[in-house]
Amino acid sequence: MLLDSILSSGALPSLERSIRFAAGRQKLIAHNIANISTPNFQQKDVAPEDFQAWLSEAIQSLRKHTGGMHGPLRTQQTRQFRTLRNGTLELDPQSPAGGVLAHDRNNRDLEQLMQDMTENLGAYRLATDLMRSQMDILRVSITQRV
Amino acid sequence: MYGTLDISTSGMVAQRTRLDVISANIANKGTLLDAQGQYSPYRRRIAYFAAGNPNAASRGGQALGVHVAEIGQDQSPLTLKYAPNSPYADEAGYIRQPNVDTTTEQIDAMEAVRAYEANVAAAEATKQMLAQSLRLIT
Repeated sequence: MLLDSILSSGALPSLERSIRFAAGRQKLIAHNIANISTPNFQQKDVAPEDFQAWLSEAIQSLRKHTGGMHGPLRTQQTRQFRTLRNGTLELDPQSPAGGVLAHDRNNRDLEQLMQDMTENLGAYRLATDLMRSQMDILRVSITQRV
Repeated sequence: MYGTLDISTSGMVAQRTRLDVISANIANKGTLLDAQGQYSPYRRRIAYFAAGNPNAASRGGQALGVHVAEIGQDQSPLTLKYAPNSPYADEAGYIRQPNVDTTTEQIDAMEAVRAYEANVAAAEATKQMLAQSLRLIT
């Protein structure tokens, strides 16, 4: 299908992965904030660096094969990141080591959480804005043709 | 993304419950009798949190969030006060009073309010993300 090949080429697939990742990470951050005073709770997170490495590996291999603009983006199924059949990105959150344990055995770090949340929001905004401009290009090309 | 708002809401609900418990403790600081009018000094209540949200709609959502597992009683000793004229005084002239310490409750209340605000901030960020993704379709 023409539309299919347009939507699964260029930057859109990797933008889609980034949006899914940021949405999934937001969930974890919200979970950590909700449990800010739960005894024995250990924070959970997925490292954005790992996600970037995972995504850039897929982009590199696409560049090697087709020059980067054509063909579907094939991401690997790793333990940390798995793409399900319906396109959902499944994350495997880890409890990062370190952090000071409070008296209730909770390694909360509110400042770090807030910073992560702001960064994550920025990443999400960047990805959606880029996707929007891609869609705008698509819209322009459609309206010019009719 | 809608599941993310549920998580922050569960946090707000839990912190509000905790604040309810704290208010009840302060209100009952001088309560000596139980609901039946029997002498039974009030014991400080504590809200115990646990991770996970059993009220979530989806099974995936139940793993995330927070809920109040139990509201327990503080078993620390009740304070004694010398009041020989009180009808509830023991042979030595002491009455047992609730083990509520207003300072502790105030600090706990502050912590609960700040934690509540952190959840509100998380919900705000999620809302911004939702609005951002809605703008994709317009």
